[in-house]
Amino acid sequence: MSELFSEAILISILAGTVRIMTPILFAAIGELVTQRAGIWNMGVEGTMLMGAFAAYIAATMTGSVWLAVMAAMMAGVLMGLLTAFMTATMRVDHFISGLAINLLAGGLTLFWFRIYIQGRAQPTFDGFDAVAIPGLSSIPWIGEILFTQRLLTYVAFAMVPAIWFLLYRTRWGLELRCLGENPKALDIKGINIVRRQYGAVLIGSVMTGLGGGFLLLGFSDRFLADITAGRGWLAVVAIIAGNWMPRRVLLAVLVFALLESIATHVQVLGLNVPHQIFLAMPYLASIFILAGLRHKTNQPVRLGIPYFR
Amino acid sequence: MSETSAISARARTRLTIEPRLNKNLRWTLTMYCAATLIGTGLSALLLWTSGADVTRAFGALLKGAFGSEKAWIATLSKATPLILTGLATVVAFRAQVWSIGQEGQVYAGAMGAYLGCLVFFGLPAGIYVSLIILSGMIGAALLGTAAAVLKVRYGVNEIISTVMMNYLIVFLLSYLIGGGPWTEISTSVVYQQTPQVPETARLQYLLGSNKLHLGFVFALVAAAICYVLLEKTPLGYEIRAMGHNPVALSYRGTNIGRTMLLVMAISGAIAGLAGVSEIFGTSHRLRADTLYGLGYSGIIIGMIGGLRPLGTVIAGLVFGGLASGSLYMKLLAQVPAALIPAMEGILLLTFLCAGVASRYRLVRVGDGDV
Amino acid sequence: MSVILKSVNLTKRFTGVIANEDVNFELRAGEVHCLFGENGAGKSTLSSCLFGFYQPEEGHIEMDGKAVRFASPRDAIAMGIGMVHQHFVLVEAFTVLENIVVGTHERGWKLGMASARSRVEGLCREYGIDLDPDTSIRDLAVGQQQWVEILKALYLEARVLILDEPTAVLTPAESARLFRVMDHMRARGLSIILISHKMSEVMQADRVTVLREGRVVGTVRPQDVTAEALTRMMVGRNVELRIARDRKIQARSSAAPVLVVEGVNYRDTQGKAALVDISLCIGEGEILGLAGVSGNGQKELFEALSGVLTPQSGRIFLAGKEMRGLPSRHYMDSGVGLIPDDRFREGLIPEFNIRENMVLGWQRDQAYTRGPFLDQEKIGAMADTLIEQFQIKTPSASTPVNHLSGGNAQKVILARELMHSSKLLLANQPTRGLDLGVIEYVYRQIIAKREGYAVLLASEELEDLLNLCDRIAVMAGGRITGIVDPLHSSIEDIGLLMAGGTATAAAREAI
Repeated sequence: MSELFSEAILISILAGTVRIMTPILFAAIGELVTQRAGIWNMGVEGTMLMGAFAAYIAATMTGSVWLAVMAAMMAGVLMGLLTAFMTATMRVDHFISGLAINLLAGGLTLFWFRIYIQGRAQPTFDGFDAVAIPGLSSIPWIGEILFTQRLLTYVAFAMVPAIWFLLYRTRWGLELRCLGENPKALDIKGINIVRRQYGAVLIGSVMTGLGGGFLLLGFSDRFLADITAGRGWLAVVAIIAGNWMPRRVLLAVLVFALLESIATHVQVLGLNVPHQIFLAMPYLASIFILAGLRHKTNQPVRLGIPYFR
Repeated sequence: MSETSAISARARTRLTIEPRLNKNLRWTLTMYCAATLIGTGLSALLLWTSGADVTRAFGALLKGAFGSEKAWIATLSKATPLILTGLATVVAFRAQVWSIGQEGQVYAGAMGAYLGCLVFFGLPAGIYVSLIILSGMIGAALLGTAAAVLKVRYGVNEIISTVMMNYLIVFLLSYLIGGGPWTEISTSVVYQQTPQVPETARLQYLLGSNKLHLGFVFALVAAAICYVLLEKTPLGYEIRAMGHNPVALSYRGTNIGRTMLLVMAISGAIAGLAGVSEIFGTSHRLRADTLYGLGYSGIIIGMIGGLRPLGTVIAGLVFGGLASGSLYMKLLAQVPAALIPAMEGILLLTFLCAGVASRYRLVRVGDGDV
Repeated sequence: MSVILKSVNLTKRFTGVIANEDVNFELRAGEVHCLFGENGAGKSTLSSCLFGFYQPEEGHIEMDGKAVRFASPRDAIAMGIGMVHQHFVLVEAFTVLENIVVGTHERGWKLGMASARSRVEGLCREYGIDLDPDTSIRDLAVGQQQWVEILKALYLEARVLILDEPTAVLTPAESARLFRVMDHMRARGLSIILISHKMSEVMQADRVTVLREGRVVGTVRPQDVTAEALTRMMVGRNVELRIARDRKIQARSSAAPVLVVEGVNYRDTQGKAALVDISLCIGEGEILGLAGVSGNGQKELFEALSGVLTPQSGRIFLAGKEMRGLPSRHYMDSGVGLIPDDRFREGLIPEFNIRENMVLGWQRDQAYTRGPFLDQEKIGAMADTLIEQFQIKTPSASTPVNHLSGGNAQKVILARELMHSSKLLLANQPTRGLDLGVIEYVYRQIIAKREGYAVLLASEELEDLLNLCDRIAVMAGGRITGIVDPLHSSIEDIGLLMAGGTATAAAREAI
């Protein structure tokens, strides 16, 4: 275990943390908006997967990473429309429809992937390279960890204060939060609840799709069937652990990513510790957090409850 | 021109939807048939856009599912764990306990049974198998009960806690069979599985086949027990009442916490039985990939089955058929087996919509005179 | 006086029911106009149409003499109509200011809290409302929350204010305060529609329109009619809720006490002291009334006396047996029956049928089981007997109770509780929302059971309590502020106690 504490390894762990954070952060902050509007999108995992898959197809067909990013966001839009249709229009139970969407996405991506490959070797692509911010990236330690990351990582971090501002300093943010607490108050004023819910869901799905896209473009050169590996769930867990507040969600994502980074390094270094322990910690921690929070939770009152007039 | 003459004498109307007062059986049936048709149609569309021969594919699917005795054997054996996890869902959801933990409970059941297989080795066959089954059911029941305790004592939402525990169990299994104490190692190759389980531990085969095993009988018996439990016993009354209105039930003398613990224990045990039957009936060794997805599918099957034991059995048979037919379809029509989970997802979504639609109706309401 | 708002031949139908039929209603500028009628008479529907929440099938609405159409409340709000609902539409997690402001922005993205705050503070000063805009709704009492609802309408510069049963959650003193603020509003040119079923409030209005079964019976000035005449208009017949009751005031020392409560305290999960030092006793054959505005601990008291919640301290004796800390099961087995105030949420399983609801709570009892199974025959026989005995109007015993009317559903609970209880009946608002006919029936049933039986009856209708009870306990702020003799008390005395004052000498009873 002491091998972990050499300087190079520590820097690698921390830099890896920031990189691993990116997709989860996109999804978590995006879904935070959705959840504050009262919709519990359990299909985050599936949306992320679709985003990754769309990015893969676009990347290998066009060779352009930025087109791939657009494709990932489009996938997010489509999944978002489906999710919003099920929850806001049809008013189906949020959890089950989310599970169905996950299942659908898993099946569809694998199905289309198999057809796309069709016997040949899997096409690869060139993903994102790290971009060193001039000047800042020369700072010892922090330079390598924080300022030599991919472009989208910086975008992800920028989204946190952006979403915070949206939620707490704009009129839409107030109305959106009201959706999650007491939609009737808005309905009475003649505000179209369904339309607002669609908007909230789409914001979340686009960002989740984008996160999925980064998962592919920023980490590897090919598509794997289980590329998301539960990261969509981790985003949901982060929202819970962060008690539905943007800054805390960021902190939760940081901790989770750190644990995953440690787990990866433990595995790669062949250390004698079951790496599963680190992977399991976020889930274990969330249970404890929830058990401890109990009555002081900030969970939107109407989260998960379909609104009927 | 006076004000009154400017007003039209006819009332305006518009269409809108509103909740039904009475459940109309015909309407409900129509909705669900429409759902099946739309779902199948969308799946066919999916097939067609991918360039496959739709009729050939569906034909192969049906033939592989129900077209021969061999097909039926495969279907029933695939249906076995699905029916069980579906029943586990029924018991929990009817009580309004939204357990998503069937997946983890299947694993826990398999692991508990394997542990029993190691511990009780050497005992006479009948007792040996019984103890293995019991260990599996207890292991899974414990997992379910843990979620109930978290809900009752700490107010932790059961959806979240069960999903969390699913992951924890999966990690535990991954450790145990991926380099941990239960791993099968042969000539320095590490497999992600345990060695084969002893002959005496395996579930008996039925009908002379080498696929359909005793687990299927367990599934049918479990369905019968669930039916009797829910409809004919006081505990079943309490479970159903809790699913509708736990407040009134607790006002009237029933301990909701205790009932919830029982529900989760029963649900867990049934799901665990699925894991036991999969390991000791089909794959004969503990590995993760054969268990994967059984729990989540069970939720879908339970819901499509209308949260009723009989419906669950039927839905389990249908989905078992889809699973076994998919191999044939892959062979004959070169369609990737991954179509099946996609189809299942589509069908569930359409069924969910049908469920909501069956509770509503189109009406004309007034829009005022002006 | 000019007519500000009016409905012309307005008809509103819902599935299977005509809520408003051919309603002609007019509101004059600067008046307080009361809409009076029983539950289901169509008052709320009419006001919802006037507010744009519903659209009528026939007829139309005129404002300032011009025909208007409200496609949604937004249109009504834009024309200056504001509504304060009976059940508040507030966001608990927000502050007062946020609740007032949300949804009022016309354009742009800015919140504009600073200017909103000064406007709200100005309104509070103008109308004499004492409220800090930055308090969270969670920290406000129910009576105070209502002011937020009123401010919401005033903030949008309403010219017409519709108040739906505003005094349901207020003490008599707070109600008086509300009426004073309403006077301020009239002085400033507001016109008010007051929906109420309380005679005392009706008499304070300028004009009253009485609705019955969706139709307008008439529009009168309260000073021109008597209360009896108004009641007759409301119900359609002469009603005398004077249930003859021979009240043999037994010597209290000889009457065996059925229920004794000593020093019970209960603090809820939020930390609020819901019950403070409660002591009372009820003797055999006695009906003890419980008066007080909802939200002052009555519900917690009923829950404590039925085992639903456990008080942190104090003692509860039922026929001499210590009961505090035991779960509801024990209370039921000891002969306590409970008619809860929220009948569909706490007393019934709405989706279950009558038979299944009749056995709710007794599903494990020997009388209804055979071995490990439910005995459907015995349950069915019991249900059939009770349906006939209590004249429950239903197509069959297999009808789900959510298809029954409120009155018949209440009869199911009443039948079940009277049948299975033997010592104590706890009745919390048993006649709320029911028609007079059913009310009479319920009270008659409660009085009929006497031997060895005690009753705790809570009601918001003080007249009923004065009529029926041997003694009346009054609750305010979680305490019992007094126990009085109905023969020597007036509504004002009780009102004083409800507001937390002390009883007058004539009314006070040595317990």
